[in-house]
Amino acid sequence: MRFLAPSVRTRLTLWHVGALALVICIFSAGILLFVRARLYGALDQQISHDLATIEKVYHEETGDLGELAQRMGITQFQVVEGGTVLYQTPGWPPGGTTPYRLGALRDASHRITAVRDETALRQTLWTLGVILAMGVPCAIGLAIGGGYLLAGRVLAPVGAMAETARKITAESLTERLPVGNPRDEFGQLARVFNDTLSRLEQAFEQLRRFTADASHELRTPLTAIRSVGEVALQRSLSGPGYREVIGSMLEEVERLTRLVESLLTLTRGESGRIQPALEIVNLNGLSVSVVEHLRVLAEEKEQSLSFEAEANVSAACDPAILRLGLINVLDNAIKYTPTRGTIRVGVRETPSGEAVIEVDDTGLGISVAHHARIFERFYRVDRGRSRESGGTGLGLATARWAVEVNGGRIELESEEGKGSRFRIVLPIFLSVPPARKT
Amino acid sequence: MRVLIVEDERKVAKALREGLEAEHYDVHVAGTGEEGFFLVNHESFDLVVLDLMLPRRDGLEVLTTLRKHGLQTPVLILTAKDTVDDRVHGLDSGADDYLVKPFAFPELLARVRALLRRGRPDQILKLQQDDLTMDLVTRKVVRAGQSLELTVKEFEMLEYLLRHVGHVVSREMLARDVWRVTARATPLDNVIDVTVARLRRKIDDPFQTKLLHTVRGVGFVLRSEPG
Repeated sequence: MRFLAPSVRTRLTLWHVGALALVICIFSAGILLFVRARLYGALDQQISHDLATIEKVYHEETGDLGELAQRMGITQFQVVEGGTVLYQTPGWPPGGTTPYRLGALRDASHRITAVRDETALRQTLWTLGVILAMGVPCAIGLAIGGGYLLAGRVLAPVGAMAETARKITAESLTERLPVGNPRDEFGQLARVFNDTLSRLEQAFEQLRRFTADASHELRTPLTAIRSVGEVALQRSLSGPGYREVIGSMLEEVERLTRLVESLLTLTRGESGRIQPALEIVNLNGLSVSVVEHLRVLAEEKEQSLSFEAEANVSAACDPAILRLGLINVLDNAIKYTPTRGTIRVGVRETPSGEAVIEVDDTGLGISVAHHARIFERFYRVDRGRSRESGGTGLGLATARWAVEVNGGRIELESEEGKGSRFRIVLPIFLSVPPARKT
Repeated sequence: MRVLIVEDERKVAKALREGLEAEHYDVHVAGTGEEGFFLVNHESFDLVVLDLMLPRRDGLEVLTTLRKHGLQTPVLILTAKDTVDDRVHGLDSGADDYLVKPFAFPELLARVRALLRRGRPDQILKLQQDDLTMDLVTRKVVRAGQSLELTVKEFEMLEYLLRHVGHVVSREMLARDVWRVTARATPLDNVIDVTVARLRRKIDDPFQTKLLHTVRGVGFVLRSEPG
């Protein structure tokens, strides 16, 4: 244990004991002062009683002062009248080692001084002081021991959690901390920790899948380049033959480039390095321009591609990023809708104040089993076919990022064989803080 | 035209040299920033192609120093970094243009031509190749006396191809300059391919001589001889 950073247990004990010691000390001092004040008060009362008696005798029968001295025994006194000592008990003035408390009564003609022995009082106070002085350290010592034990018992679950947590690595993320009492602080801590672990496990799983998928996607064009090149070198070809081979290799290079490009955009976007520059965008205009942009593709497949909207709808978003998202969704719809199918793009506003862009198609549809993962990077319903059609497998992932970075969400409604409906839902008003202008 | 290439990657430098020499440029190669700096200071070039990631002496540093010395030669930077900040930084340091690696060679050629042409007036009102003419004012396209109906995008694409006649145009160049899409992740290749096919149907299919050719894996080129 380092000196400057003691353990929580030690700190807890120290705080506990410190507070207790402070309370005990204040309490003891209070008792001591109180008792002292009471004892002196009683003594002073006795002295003033003595003084009153002496004065009475002095006024009535001055000669009896000696007798009074004998009767009062323990009290020594002196009566002075006009500068001359009228009477004083033998042994006056009091001295020696015995402590006295002194009281006086005076007026114009005379002065009476009386003393009383306070040895007994001092003895009492001393005894009390000794008892307290010995009791306080004992109490503090007990508090240290008890506090340390108690803190240890209270903190035991933390130690157990730390021990379990230490065993959890990237490979054993399935393990969970034991939750003792789910309602107390440690139970809550364990639960929160377990939730974090679950999310972490999910993230790791996604990452694992992504890495596997990405390497597959990257390897495929690499394999093609390699085998096309190797085979070409083994044969002797004519000029046009070599051109053909190099062209084929370049096609794969282009595919690789596109893949890396999309991956980079997506990674950058997901790591928050691309900040949307929000402005109020007319979604009708944006949708029409995307529809016109991709119309040639639909025309090639003799598909009917239409845009419909009842009113103008605007939303706060980054038009360039949203456009990228919508292009990806519509491109996807055209790709997976058969020849002579119908694709409708619509814009509307919901009563709850959200702007919606819908892309309906009469395509193949996506079975419910794939709904959850369709927006994941490289996730494909049918691997072979998607690659044939030239997709990177990142289109819908890009679309999701593009919508979410604008504070919206993307939804899918689809039935296999009947078509799909992708819905981009955006808040109409600013819901994400405006981007930093660079 | 003397072009200096400052590039440390030997394969890339060799490809650049051969590619530019094939276009009849007088090409010199420097393998390090220092060598490039020395050459620029002692010889005169019409264009410098500068890689930013150089060993020992950073490309940007070389560029900044050269500009401080009053060098006027246009500089085209090659970089693997493509964030907006990197580009702005490069252009602020005195670069005239930049190209992100991996780049398509036709695009490099187009940039080089544009930089070397810079400063000369470009007042062309009519583009022509063989019997195909394009009037940029009336926006009429005629081939062999026959008027052709083109859509806006087809017209713009043909204009772009005519302006780069004899040179290969990549899909990326078309995406950026004709479709004006800057995000390279946008799925546009299909759109470009379809538009090219349609343009070909209109300007080539009814005629004997084919003008619009596909260079597999690279892009498209407009020229009269068969490719």
